Amino acid sequence: MKVSYNLLKSFVSFDLGPKELASIFTSIGIETSVVSNTCNWTNVVTAKILDIQKHPEADKLSLCKVSDGAKEFSIVCGAKNISVGQVVPLAKIGALLPDNFQIKKSKIRGIESEGMLCSKKELGLAEESESIYILDDKIKLGVTLEDVLDDVDSVLEIEIATNRGDVLSYLGLAREIGAKLKKIVTYPKTTTYKVSGLNCVQIKSSSCVRYIGGIISGIKVGESPEWIKDALEKSGIRSINNIVDITNYVMLELGQPLHTFDLKKLSSKNVVVRAANESEKIIALDGKEYELSSDMLVIADDNHPIAIAGVMGGQYSGIGKSTETVFLESAVFDSVSVRKTSKKLNLASDSSYRFEKGVSWDIAEVAFWRAVNLISDIAGGKIEAREDLQNIKYEKTSIVLRVERVFKVLGYKISKDEIIEILRYLGMDLQSKGEVILCTVPSWRNDIKEEVDLIEEIVRIKGYDTIPLQKKQAVCLSTSSDSFIGKTVEDFRVKLNGLGFSEALNCSFCEIIELEKFGLKYLYKIINPVSKENEVLRPSLLPGLYKNLVLNISQGLESVTLFEYGKNFNELGERKAFALIAYARVWQEWWKWAEQKINPKYDFYFGGGIIKNILPQDFMITQNLTPKEYYHVGKTASVMHKGKVVGQFGILSPYITEGIKDEVFYCEIDLSSTEKDQNFEVTQYKTFSKLPLVKRDISVIADKTLPFVKIEKVIKNIMKLGGILKDYSLFSVYTDEAKIGEGKIGYSFRLSYKDENKTLTDTEVNKDMHYLLEKLDLDLQVKVRE
Amino acid sequence: MNNNIEEIVKEAILQIKVADLKTVENIKIKYLGKNGTLTQILKSLSNFSAEDRKNIGSKANSAKSVIENEIESRKETLRKTLLEEKMQKEKLDYSSDFYFPFSKGSFHPIMQTIQDICSIFKSLGFSVAQGHEIETQWYNFEALNIPKSHPARDVQDTFYLEGTEELLRTHTSPGQIHVMESQKPPVRVIVPGRVYRNEASDATHFSTFHQIEGLAVDEDITFVDLKAALSDFIHEFFGYGIDIRFRPSHFQFTEPSAEVDVQCVFCNGKGCRVCKNSGWIELLGCGMVHPNVLKAVSYDSEKYTGYAFGLGVERITMFKYGIDDIRLFYENDLRFLKQF
Repeated sequence: MKVSYNLLKSFVSFDLGPKELASIFTSIGIETSVVSNTCNWTNVVTAKILDIQKHPEADKLSLCKVSDGAKEFSIVCGAKNISVGQVVPLAKIGALLPDNFQIKKSKIRGIESEGMLCSKKELGLAEESESIYILDDKIKLGVTLEDVLDDVDSVLEIEIATNRGDVLSYLGLAREIGAKLKKIVTYPKTTTYKVSGLNCVQIKSSSCVRYIGGIISGIKVGESPEWIKDALEKSGIRSINNIVDITNYVMLELGQPLHTFDLKKLSSKNVVVRAANESEKIIALDGKEYELSSDMLVIADDNHPIAIAGVMGGQYSGIGKSTETVFLESAVFDSVSVRKTSKKLNLASDSSYRFEKGVSWDIAEVAFWRAVNLISDIAGGKIEAREDLQNIKYEKTSIVLRVERVFKVLGYKISKDEIIEILRYLGMDLQSKGEVILCTVPSWRNDIKEEVDLIEEIVRIKGYDTIPLQKKQAVCLSTSSDSFIGKTVEDFRVKLNGLGFSEALNCSFCEIIELEKFGLKYLYKIINPVSKENEVLRPSLLPGLYKNLVLNISQGLESVTLFEYGKNFNELGERKAFALIAYARVWQEWWKWAEQKINPKYDFYFGGGIIKNILPQDFMITQNLTPKEYYHVGKTASVMHKGKVVGQFGILSPYITEGIKDEVFYCEIDLSSTEKDQNFEVTQYKTFSKLPLVKRDISVIADKTLPFVKIEKVIKNIMKLGGILKDYSLFSVYTDEAKIGEGKIGYSFRLSYKDENKTLTDTEVNKDMHYLLEKLDLDLQVKVRE
Repeated sequence: MNNNIEEIVKEAILQIKVADLKTVENIKIKYLGKNGTLTQILKSLSNFSAEDRKNIGSKANSAKSVIENEIESRKETLRKTLLEEKMQKEKLDYSSDFYFPFSKGSFHPIMQTIQDICSIFKSLGFSVAQGHEIETQWYNFEALNIPKSHPARDVQDTFYLEGTEELLRTHTSPGQIHVMESQKPPVRVIVPGRVYRNEASDATHFSTFHQIEGLAVDEDITFVDLKAALSDFIHEFFGYGIDIRFRPSHFQFTEPSAEVDVQCVFCNGKGCRVCKNSGWIELLGCGMVHPNVLKAVSYDSEKYTGYAFGLGVERITMFKYGIDDIRLFYENDLRFLKQF
């Protein structure tokens, strides 16, 4: 909401500049900034119009001669409201107007203009204005504009907390400043009249709790006086006519939205507040037709709805030039009902904005009389009849405040006297009884419901800056060793980081059609997605990481390595998952590698090597019996944890990666099933012999169909016997069938032997090695390569 | 003879001083070898009187060790020179291409911020708990004092799931409820995690983002403690020079509520586009736990008080690194990721 600094001053006296005022508001929870400070110009002076001629080349422009008392200027002007003899603001050549608009010597349609006559908008004095700002014609000429304007004003932009509808008015803001500065607020004067009742109004819905209606006759619709127009303009409200402007002005002043109908345009004398009929239609004041539903509230005559209650009036009952008798409404509607209606119709107004936040029971009546008074003063009307229908028995909220509780919540001492003073300035009725204060909350503060709300009020007005910065933090340890990421993942992240992987984060949503490409099924579908691409929750991290891969390849990157930790939503529910994707060159490009023709790419073995390297001890790699559809069936394996398959890795199926040059390696592990007893599993130290290892190399030839893991198992079994064979590694694989025989594959192992107690002899080592070779031959028909 | 020995030493030293690695060995043979000059003298000692023998013997022996030392030190010098020369020859250009096979890895800035914040709060005595991203209405709203009629319940802001009453949590605050249900006070916990809002995406909004929730409940926790803990955290995270302000605000699940602003890091509080000329940047929301929230988990709201806070990880990360578009976090362009 935008408000005028000067107008606010008329409700409560204060000695603060606009900026200081804004910062005081902010400090009590009403975020405020100065949006326009009036004097945002230089070199603008008062000048008198001496002559006006039509521009020879343009119908809509005129040529003016103006004088600043010393010199005459020729000005080209487009406004229609000027006439000879008027005193107006003249921006001379070189003048600087708001938004850094510099006035330069220029030709407009062939005729030179030596400056510009300004409107309020051009001077930053109003939001909207098309006409030139006409000054008092008794003003001296040639003086700088800021010196002759006593209405130099600032506009403040106010942002309120969602529960503080009570400050959406000058009165509300004045009350807040009054409470903070301990000043009394001046209410606008109202005169009430005793008039006869109106027996034609009826409330037929519980969404309307109070309805004050009145008939004012003998009015003359016309233009509003300048001071009303000015106030509306500063708040960004368009001036329409004196009647509508008065209702808007009172709303700005007191926070109560009002509405007027042209009584003659109603089809009956009766006015009913009722639920709308299903599919009932109304053309609102914005000229658009709205279809209503039965959960909405309308004001209606016998035949039609004449207003959407609290939101907007209907066009056909609107005030026009010929209106003589108006029906004035000041009502209290249920805030939830107005909010829902406004949302459903996608129609918001200054009125609905205030009703949504809640209006005051008491102010509804004050505002009614204020509007009656202003209409009578300005448009000459007279109140004929009035009705005040109350649908509930309204009672103010009473709360017991314990002084000791204030200390318990805030942690610092505020005296009872000070508490009483603060609450009193906030408009509370107080009764003090010992250490307890009984507070009656004013009707405009419907956000205050219980004791703790009062405690907030006390500290809010006293100022959060008065809370001492005291540390009484006791020594305490966190009670668990949990972390956001977990030990296993932290380990993965650190290791992969060292191997050049980057951590990615993808959004949790994806599109069904995208999942189908990977053979994935979703479990959770969003009822109200932001877009079709975000219709389901991801069952796997693959779609996101694959998308990232494609993006980075398209950006010209030749190798991509990414990992991600996040939630999956699949048939097991909400699961923690970790995944990595690796593509193309393992090492960075370097001339030395090129020289030596070394340039490994991520394939099944290299990727598998990374997985093997990053997995903690209690994980194992095994055969993949049920590979996911997105893997290459021949290049995949699974990851086991304590006898349970928890993940899979491999090369992505060529169906998916068609069009991508190299193979794509992917691995995904479900961490939710590995989580238990992960903490505090500390590896135990094993003693080791300081004697040197004896190394032997062996080469063997096997059938290609024999899984490598079986050969490994024979070696491992021998190691398990606790003999001198301690370790092995595969250092070469031959696939040249021409040399080793068709259907064969060759492996070379390096074996490490050691005795914990003595240096080994050749004979001992040879004996053990032969045992291994015999075993391989016997069990698997794996022969020594000659 | 004595003079003769001195002469020999002098002569030998002169030769050693200019010898290279080969000639130095020859010199050694010439003086100290089997038939070397000094060896000869020592062999001929029997020809002398007992007194002379003793005299000449000791002189010859000390001359021998002088020459030996001289030779060793010459050899040492020559070896050093040789290595120096070798290193000079092998000199490489430091400005040339250093090489590491793997490119630089990186951690996602969001994850880094979460970890940084968690470790600060752990040092303040907080535990870390994890919540669920799929939540019930009760945990996400009712238990947090957000009744059915509240605007925050409008379908527009919350993602609902088909075929279930559940929803995607709109904040990490349900984590408070889960923690309090599972334990008795004292509670000191933070809950980091992913949250969802149905918002059109732009430079500062995205439907997926992260929050960190904090909660402390005990018999004597007050607003003063809240201010102290959050001031400590902010100073630890942004540096001790930064200005902080607490300002009243409104949240359903806290009362009194506050928002915490820090001095704008882009203009040092002078006012700029980012802080909309106010000099302040809104950092987090906090307040004293609303009694209704304590009641929802059957805590005695008379006996216990507590504070809670919630902060947006993306927002804080954007300020920290000067990132101007939230969507960059979820594109995973390596040219972005590798900067962290």
